[in-house]
Parts: sequence; structure tokens; C-alpha cells
Amino acid sequence: MLLDPGMDLTLRPMRYPRFFDRFKDAIKNTWTVEEVDLHSDLADLARLSPAEQHLVSRLVAFFATGDTIVANNLVLNLYQHVNSPEGRLYLSRQLFEEAVHVQFYLNLLDTYVPDEKERFEAFAAVENIPSIARKAEFCFRWIDSVFDLRQLSTRDDRRAFLLNLICFAACIEGLFFYGAFAYVYFLRSRGLLHGLASGTNWVFRDESMHMAFAFDVVETVRREEPDLFDAEMEQQVTRMLAEAVECEAQFAEDLLGQGVPGMSLADMRAYLEHVADRRLAMLGIAPIYGSKNPFAFMELQDVQELSNFFERRVSAYQVGVTGTVSFDDDF
Amino acid sequence: MRVRKRNGDTEPVDVNKIVRAVERWVADLDEVDPLRVATKTISGLYDGATTSELDKLSIQTAAELIGEEPQYSKLAARLLASYVDKEVRGQGVASFSQCVRYAHGLGLIGDEVAAFVARNARKLDDAVDPAGDLRFEYFGLRTVADRYLLRHPETRLVVETPQYWLLRVACGLSRTPAEAIGFYRLMSSLAYLPSSPTLFNSGTRHTQMSSCFLVDSPRDELDSIYERYHQVARLSKFSGGIGISWTRIRGRGALIRGTNGRSNGIVPFLKTLDAGVAAVNQGGRRKGAACVYLEPWHPDVEEFLELRDNTGEEARRTHNLNLANWIPDEFMRRVEADGEWSLVDPSDAPELPDLWGEEFDEAYRAAEKKAVKTVKARDLYGRMMRTLAQTGNGWMTFKDASNRLSNQTGAPGNTIHLSNLCTEILEVNSDGETAVCNLGSINLGAHVTAEGVDWEKLRATVATAVLFLDRVIDLNYYPSAQAAASNPRWRPVGLGLMGLQDAFFTLRLPFDSERARELSTSVQEEIFLTALETSAELAREHGAHPAYPRTRAAGGDLHPDLWGAEPTQTERWAALRERVAAHGLRNSLLVAIAPTATIASIAGCYECIEPQVSNLFKRETMSGEFLQINTYLVRELKARGLWTAPIREQIKRAEGSVQGIADLPDDVRELFRTAWELPQRALIDLAAARAPYVDQSQSLNLFMSAPTIGKLSSMYLHAWKSGLKTTYYLRSRPATRIQQATVPVVAPTEAVACSLENPETCEACQ
Repeated sequence: MLLDPGMDLTLRPMRYPRFFDRFKDAIKNTWTVEEVDLHSDLADLARLSPAEQHLVSRLVAFFATGDTIVANNLVLNLYQHVNSPEGRLYLSRQLFEEAVHVQFYLNLLDTYVPDEKERFEAFAAVENIPSIARKAEFCFRWIDSVFDLRQLSTRDDRRAFLLNLICFAACIEGLFFYGAFAYVYFLRSRGLLHGLASGTNWVFRDESMHMAFAFDVVETVRREEPDLFDAEMEQQVTRMLAEAVECEAQFAEDLLGQGVPGMSLADMRAYLEHVADRRLAMLGIAPIYGSKNPFAFMELQDVQELSNFFERRVSAYQVGVTGTVSFDDDF
Repeated sequence: MRVRKRNGDTEPVDVNKIVRAVERWVADLDEVDPLRVATKTISGLYDGATTSELDKLSIQTAAELIGEEPQYSKLAARLLASYVDKEVRGQGVASFSQCVRYAHGLGLIGDEVAAFVARNARKLDDAVDPAGDLRFEYFGLRTVADRYLLRHPETRLVVETPQYWLLRVACGLSRTPAEAIGFYRLMSSLAYLPSSPTLFNSGTRHTQMSSCFLVDSPRDELDSIYERYHQVARLSKFSGGIGISWTRIRGRGALIRGTNGRSNGIVPFLKTLDAGVAAVNQGGRRKGAACVYLEPWHPDVEEFLELRDNTGEEARRTHNLNLANWIPDEFMRRVEADGEWSLVDPSDAPELPDLWGEEFDEAYRAAEKKAVKTVKARDLYGRMMRTLAQTGNGWMTFKDASNRLSNQTGAPGNTIHLSNLCTEILEVNSDGETAVCNLGSINLGAHVTAEGVDWEKLRATVATAVLFLDRVIDLNYYPSAQAAASNPRWRPVGLGLMGLQDAFFTLRLPFDSERARELSTSVQEEIFLTALETSAELAREHGAHPAYPRTRAAGGDLHPDLWGAEPTQTERWAALRERVAAHGLRNSLLVAIAPTATIASIAGCYECIEPQVSNLFKRETMSGEFLQINTYLVRELKARGLWTAPIREQIKRAEGSVQGIADLPDDVRELFRTAWELPQRALIDLAAARAPYVDQSQSLNLFMSAPTIGKLSSMYLHAWKSGLKTTYYLRSRPATRIQQATVPVVAPTEAVACSLENPETCEACQ
């Protein structure tokens, strides 16, 4: 079984081909930080209202450490317990992607925050900005909850592991980052900070895949060990998501506190609740809030993009195309 | 909740006030709910917001409802127009002539146009159509407001309304008020629009109105290379898109006699070009853009094909340059025959870039003895296909067809060395002459009703369009001496079309149907024929263009003759031939089908000759993100009572495809296929069928969701065999996508139920 302790090295026969497919898909989606052009953002930053500038500086401070936390959990808590070589292939790939994200946000801060002192402060946000510190505490608590487990021998161990996995997929990547993306896309829908948005497009795509993989793992374990999933577990997950929503909502209070037209605090809360309900639905758990998505600009993220190449670099291509020259293929 | 007024006072937010502001604009928009806009606007507001923030938010709010009901697009546009109007009036401008005087005082308008408007103030003021702004869709008007309207140099406030803008553009190209008013009316009706540089700059102090510049490869020496950087920067500054060849520059490892060193090849030079293009910002409106052309026998071709890769050494990557292959037939023949292909250094065979057809074939075979390297033609072709799939770049353009089928290459010494940034312009150039083209596009959708094409209207539009495209040549400001040397001699223009898909939808013709192909061909014949007639008439009045004796037309061969095509309107063609024989032509080239990315948005139609990419998609531009929905589909579904929330949901889930929606009848699904769902062979065949009536070329994008080398190599071989001169982007789709955030989740337990083993429990498949 997937969570059995050990170091499975056997790729053939392959037990979990879906993990391998995800690994291959991820490779086709390789991008590098150099492709993102941030220079036009500087002019936009100067145009923002003080309230919007505050929003951006807080957001950037969150990005400064967010992906690093995820990467750490991946190495310290997830990789060792997912006992499938193809699953570990995907996790290795994910780790690379997290590293690219970290580099992207590093680049972003170096560009956005030219003052060295301010930049250091942004990177220290987990300590000195209370609204970010609270989110970090939430993450650390869940990292710590399984940190001492060397192997998942008991039923309780496995449930603890699953909770950590679900926390990082549903709450951190699936809610904290989704919240952050909403701010970016809000600005983008107003024609602001295209560089940040185009980098975020890539990051968002990666994060979606990370979350999907994590849910695949959950489903696989559910199939293999259905008795791990009981009412108590459901309650724990529900409580965890509710707490994550509160963490993110207090972050929103900080970001939007000065008044940003088009993004009210009430709408942001409704959005977070809506996303949380979706995460629960993906796990087959009843929703808590029943809130609808109030942000039309998020609906825009669900449809195909079409850029004019004069305007932006198009991000819709794949790498790793295969095949050989032939003249009678159908097209 | 309170808002702050412009005078600093605060007052409570009043829903009714917003409702009334919306109601002003909805007379013909029966599906719009003003109260909904008002309440939604208020929910996004914060306490103490300004009334200006409130106005902007109401525009945005209306725009966000477009996905449910496309009429909100018109509403948002009108709210925006009224916002812009307030801004202009707020600066003391109450009429067109006042606007021009004001903008002239700010240094934005040229002296001659200012004087012309002052002389004819009353007539021009009366010509402004108060209903003109009602025709815009939101995305179009937003683009106009953000990028096309003139702004105050200090305050950055908009100083002209959309209608004043179009009238100003018309005045910049007119000699009499009647001319100006006629041209203004045509543009204001959105049936025709000139290209962006004309819309940006006509009537201003820098009247650079051409879209495209084709710069010959620098000579194989340092001074010439740096001269080209300078020229490219100047052309780019004034909104031109640039094509530049690099074929004459020696490859990596070739000897440099002056210093007895070895060359580093073309890549470091292109890296410099890349940085130069990125540095020049086109008046803040868009980034500069250039495409580099290279012939596939150049020794650095393999590195060239990697310039856009996103991995590898950054010093050898050019993220801002577009790339195109300028391919001789000999290469394609060797690909087909699975032969060898020699890479030859241009310093060993400097004549090759100027030759085409048999002369090229002979010279190339002779030069192969000095080959730097030999590869398998298919391997190189395969790499080209891979570059296309991975970057969309490395466009396939065909040197021999481009030269063989051109009016300009009739006399020796005139060679087309490359195409332009969008692969629709094909003009001769040389070291001392940079080819220039002025463009404009007819909105075919505005010339078609369910009964068919309004041919008379189409002819009238073409005649006006050609007249004003020709006018640009004389009034244009040329940013480089090489451009100024070429354009008056050849006087080429590029009249294109957009909204072909709109015409097909209106007439209910599937894109790949026989009738669609016939229609597209006869429309193109009509456009080209009328354009030639107009040019012959201009030649009668003003004389033929100076290089006319060196054209094929002077020898009696018009473009369809070069193709061996048989036009349908035989009498008109015969009459035209007589007139051309008597007076010549004012323009060496007339028709080019440009991509029309921006002006199609302004006109609210589908781009050039392209099929729709999706029934529901978003556009991302410098102005923000915009949801685009297929209004033809919405109308169709409404008529059938199928425009429901669940159907909208399904369309969104399928990323704008309707193929999997079982509730829709077959004919609807067939008509509303997307570019990804159409056979690409049909796109190529459509292009080939109209090609005899396109004397330059067409920006033909091809679409493949999951490209493979096999499919691509078959497709581009077919394109070459069909005689196409050029192709443009290969569009493909990302391998992974973001998790949709706004369509309902399919829970895992439901997903298990949906299985082929228990179909009776599966609702999704029924």
C-alpha cells in the first residue's frame, strides 16, 4: 500500500501510472523566471493608490516565504512517506517547481522593493507582520504535527500524515495561495501589474497540479485503506479548513483595510468560503458555508486565454513535443 | 456607506442614482437589469470612496456580467463613453473643433490639421455622430480609451472623445471636409478601420502611419550591423512592426580577415537586437516587436531555432524576437526526398540571398561544395517543427512562392528577401531601401446580412479604403531614410479583411464547408478587383507609381494570371486590363491580410480570416482581462430556449467548446466548432483558394492542441504544396491548466459513479 513504510524502487510493473502521467505533464509545463518580464510593473506600482500599494506590499511579503514553507514540508514530511517511485518522481518535480516559485518571488521582491532595508523586512514578514505571522503559525503547527514520524506504522500515524497532506493541499496551496492569486488577478483585471500576473499564471498552473496530485494521493489511500476515513477525520478536516479561512480572512482585513474599490472585505470572505467549500467537495465532505464566488474576475481565470503577442508573451505552449517527421498524419 | 464628491463633500451612496445613470443607456438593451448593476457596484465599494471610483466600479461591474448576458458589454461601453465624455468636457472642450484647438495648444496635433479644422469648424462639428459610441462593445472601447485617445501630457487626462478621435484621424488624411466626413462615417460605422499606427498618429505631429517595415539583412560587416540596430530602433519608436533578415551575416567559426579572428556567429548579434527591441517602447502604447528571418542553409540555423527556448544559456536566448524561416523550395524537395542538406556560409556564397527559383537552385548546388556542414534535410525540418510546437515561433515562409507570385519581381535585381512581423507583407527591398506598408482592414461582418453579402457596400468600402491607404504614402513621416527611399517608388498598400468568421456565422456556414470556401474566395476576388480598379483610377489622375515599368502588371500579368487562376467576374477583369494598359497602376501591391488583433477588437468582430478560438475565452491585454463570448451562439441558444445556467456551466467547463453538450442539435455543434476542433487542412485550403486574389500574403495562424512532429510535418508540407507563400503562428495549448475555481466540483464519489461499467447511474454521459 502507498503509505506502507519502505523504499519501493520498482517502476515496472507500475502501480500508480497516474502519478507518472502527472510527472510527465508537469515536465511539459516547464518555465523559467527569465521569461517573466517585470519591468512594466514598476510604472504601475507608482500609479497605485496608497491603499493598493499597501495591498501589494503585504502580498509580496507573503509570497516571500510562502513557497519556501511548502517546499520544506514536502521534503521533511511528504516525500519519505509516499512509498511509490513514480509518486516520488512527481514530488521531486514538485520540489523543483517550488524552487522556481521561490526564485520568481525573490526576483519579484528584488524588483519591487529596491530599498534593501525594506526588502529584508519583507523577507522577515513571518516574524514582524502579524497577519502573515498568524498564517505561518498555522503552517508550522501542521508541519510539526508529523515531523517526528519516521514511519507510518499505526492507523493514527497515517491519519496524521493524511491531515498534513490535506492541510498543505487544501489549506495552504488550495486556500492561502488561491487567496493571494485573487488579489493578483483583481489587479490584473484592472490592467495593473502584468508582470506579476504573468508569473502568477505559471505559478497558479503549477499549484493547481500540486493540489491535484495531493488529492490523487488522498483518493488512492482512501481506496486502499477506506477505514482511515471516518466521521472524526471529516470533522478534523472541516475544522482545519474553517481555521484556515479565519487565518486568511484576517490577512484580508490587513490587505484591504484601507479601502480598495472593487474588492470589499465581505466579498473576499465570501470568496474564501467558496474556495474552502470546494476543497471539501473535492474530498467528498459536506460544505461549511454555501457561499457563492462573488469575484467575476476569477471566472476569467477559468477560460482559455488569448493574448495578442504585441501585448504579452504568450504562456500557452508546451515543451517536450514528440514524434518524427512524417507526411501522412491527419491534421 | 458614504461617497466623497469631486468638491470634497460626502453624501450617502444612493442606489437609485446609480440605477438612473444606468437606465439612460439601456433603451435598446432589453436583457439588462439596472438594479443588479447598482447593487453589485455598491457591494464592491468601501466607505469613503470617491464618486470617480464609484463611476469606474460601475463600468467594471457591468463588464463582469458579460458572461451571463452579452448585452452588458454594450452597457459597460456606454458607461465608459460617458465617463470619458465627462473627463473631456471637464477640461472645457464642448465641440470637435475646440478639442483640436485645445490639443494643438498642448502640442499634440499637427499644424496643418489644426488649420484645416479651424477653417472648416462648423461643418466638421456638425458631422460628429452622437450615436457613434453606441456601436462599441466594451473591450473595443476600453482599448480605444486606454491607448488610442490623445492624453494631456501632464495630467494624463483624455482630451478627445472616441468620435473626435476618428474624425481627427479622418481629417489628418483628407483634403476637403467632404472627404473627411465621408471617411469618418465609414470608420465610425466600424465597417472599415485603418491599422493602429494610422489610428494612433494621423493628424498628430508625428504622422508615422505605416504598420510594417521590411529591413534587408545587414551586409556582412560590423558598421552595417550597427546601422541596422539604429534603423530598427527608429522604426520601432514610431509604432512600426519590423521584419529583418539576418541571412547575409557569416556564421559561427567563419574567418574575419581584418583581425584574423573567427566569428561568433549570428546569435550574439541577435541578442543585442533583442535588447534593443525591448528597450524601445512605442510611445508607451505597446512594446517594440521584430521578427528575424533566416534561410535554412545558414550555418547557424540550428542555434537560431533555439533562440526562443526557455531553457539553456540565457546569453543565447532572445525572448523578445520572433523568428521565421525563409525557405527555398529546394529545401522542401530534399525533405520530401529524404535527402541531405548543406549548410553554407554566406561569406562563401554571398549571392544566395538575392536569388530565387532555378537561379537559386543552381547557385546553391554549386555552393554546396563549400558546405560548412551537412545534415539530413528531414532532421532539420523536424527541428523546425519542434520549435513551432514548443514556442509557436519559427514561422514557415516560402521564398520561391513569395518571389514567383509577386508583381514586384518582374525585372531582374528585385528580390523579396523576407516577410514582415506578421507574415502578410511581401515586398522587395535592398540594402538602401526598406520596404514599408500601410494597412487597413474591412470588417466583412458589417457587409453581410442573413440574405448574403452586400456587394455594393463592399465595393464602396474598398474604393474609400484604397484611396486613403494611398494617401498615407504621401503624408507619412518616414522614420528612416531607407524607408523614405522605397515607399514613394513602389507605393504598396495592404488592404485586408476581418470578421470572416462573423460572415460565416451570420450565413450559418461551417468554416470547413464548400460554400464557405466559395464565399471567401468570391469576397476576396471582389476586394482585389475593386482595389485594382481604384488604383488604376488613381493612376489615371496622378500617374502610375514610378517603379511601375518594372512590375509584372506592366507586362500585362495581373496577380491571378501568375497563379493561373480563372476569375469569375470576367467582364470586369477585361475592362480593368484595358485601363491598366492605358494608365498603369498607382500601387504595386494592394492586398495583404493582416492579423488585425487590435482593430478587430475595436470593431467588435473576429480577427482577420480566422475561425473563432473558443465560444468563451478571455483576452489579456495591457488594459486588463476581458471575457469574450460568442454572441452568435448566445443568440442561437436563446432562440432555442437553451441559454440556461447549466448550459453556460457546461460551456465553461469545456473551455468554450460546445461539442460535448448533448442538448444541442448537431447543426449547432457543427457551426460553432472552434479553431481547435476544425480540420486544419480546411484553413489551409481556404487560404490557398483565396490566394490568387491576395497579391501580398495572409497572416495564417494554424491551431493544434497537442502538436506532434508527425502532424506538424504533414501539415506544413501540405501548406507548401498548396502554394501558400507564408504561414504565421502555430497556436497550441498548455499541457496543464489551472484548477477551475468557479465551476462546481465533481466530488470523488460522483466521479466513481461515472464509469462505463455502470452507465445507468451515470448522468454525465446521458
